[in-house]
Amino acid sequence: MKLSEFIRPATLAEARKALRALGPKGMPLAGGTALHFMQGKTPVTAVDVTRLGLSYIRQKGNYFVIGAATPLSDIQRYRGPRWAMHEICRRISTHQIRNVSTIGGNIARVFPWADLPVVLLAMDARLVIYSGKEKEMTADEYFSAQPARLFRGGDLLTAVKIPVLKAHHGFGSVKVTRNAAAFSLATVAALLELKDGVIKAARVAAGSAIPFPQRLKPVEAALVGKEAVTAVFKEAAAAAGAAAKWVGGEGMSADYIRQLAEVSILDALERAAEFARGRAE
Amino acid sequence: MTTTTHTVTFTINGEKKTFATRPDEKLLTLLRREGYRGTKYGCGQGTCGACTVLLDGRATYACLLYAMQAEGRKVRTIESVGTFDKPGEFQKELVAAGAVQCGYCIPGMVMSATALMETEEVFEDEIVKEYMDGNLCRCTGYEKIWVALRKTLDKQASAKPAAKKTAKGAKK
Repeated sequence: MKLSEFIRPATLAEARKALRALGPKGMPLAGGTALHFMQGKTPVTAVDVTRLGLSYIRQKGNYFVIGAATPLSDIQRYRGPRWAMHEICRRISTHQIRNVSTIGGNIARVFPWADLPVVLLAMDARLVIYSGKEKEMTADEYFSAQPARLFRGGDLLTAVKIPVLKAHHGFGSVKVTRNAAAFSLATVAALLELKDGVIKAARVAAGSAIPFPQRLKPVEAALVGKEAVTAVFKEAAAAAGAAAKWVGGEGMSADYIRQLAEVSILDALERAAEFARGRAE
Repeated sequence: MTTTTHTVTFTINGEKKTFATRPDEKLLTLLRREGYRGTKYGCGQGTCGACTVLLDGRATYACLLYAMQAEGRKVRTIESVGTFDKPGEFQKELVAAGAVQCGYCIPGMVMSATALMETEEVFEDEIVKEYMDGNLCRCTGYEKIWVALRKTLDKQASAKPAAKKTAKGAKK
């Protein structure tokens, strides 16, 4: 993408004002890694949003609040009670990219292969958007369509709120790639709430092998009320085929990708259950 | 393409400098134009790691960073780590191990290893792999690079506790 101008606003209000005035000729820049690959004939003004105090991770009540401009490497290194975000962040791209790429940049415009939307959907995260004042949105609402729709008027994503997992809650995520730094072939994530070995609630999401990250509700339905055992997980994972439109690619058929997703879901569920029963930190 | 003159000011290898640039100039292009040619242009798309520099101590791809993003930051290139006459510790071990084939990836490898050595205290294999996962060697000479890095890290790790003891002893 061609940049005709580069500005560094000092406050959130200034950044929003600049983006509102620029309209389609403005582009928020955090890590900026994706901008190098975006096609666009019209040059844009880059609005640097990394100097607005939006890089932090804090535990606040029942949530971990992650500033939108926090690099993935900080999320990967952070440790809090029953923290689960580090695993997926470690699997995203390479060390050098994780050092600059931000959580906000990863989800403000969702590419089909993005991993974080999958994890945030399963985690029941909340997204904080600044439009003069801050408002919150559920991950279900935020990822119901391309989130870039929410930022056309200059509004900005400021934070991601991840619920602190309670005891008996467990989380697991699996990303399948051909090599360590490659884009995902399939990413799945699962959140389970167990009570006396029975699944009380479940959120399962997938991305990359489907057109857009989404929850797999038939898989969730096949889990709730059942025992948290492998046979149940297998049966639930088998519902993935009907839950989404699986798309082949990189020499793999749609059927192969679906099978890949099924075994990944099984794996994620096993991990989530192990976590819920009390994982070794 | 705009003709507007822009400037960017950052600390490069300990020295604060101001450079003329364009909004869409990459940091890699600026650095090489200004004579920091140890930083290599490899793939130009954030895959190979030959252009790795440190931005505020963290390894980053200079090919995926606009020069303007470096404003007010600290940038370090391979020139700050060692020279032909005075190589750094890892560079000496690379030579001793015969790990340098075409050599193109080496500056990037050294910068990632520098970030590792200056940030971490314990050099378990998993941590080392994490820091080095964004650097490719297309001669595929990974084994000897790993041997050289391991030697450097083991030396540094064995030197560290001693340094701490001395410091504590000095207080007493």
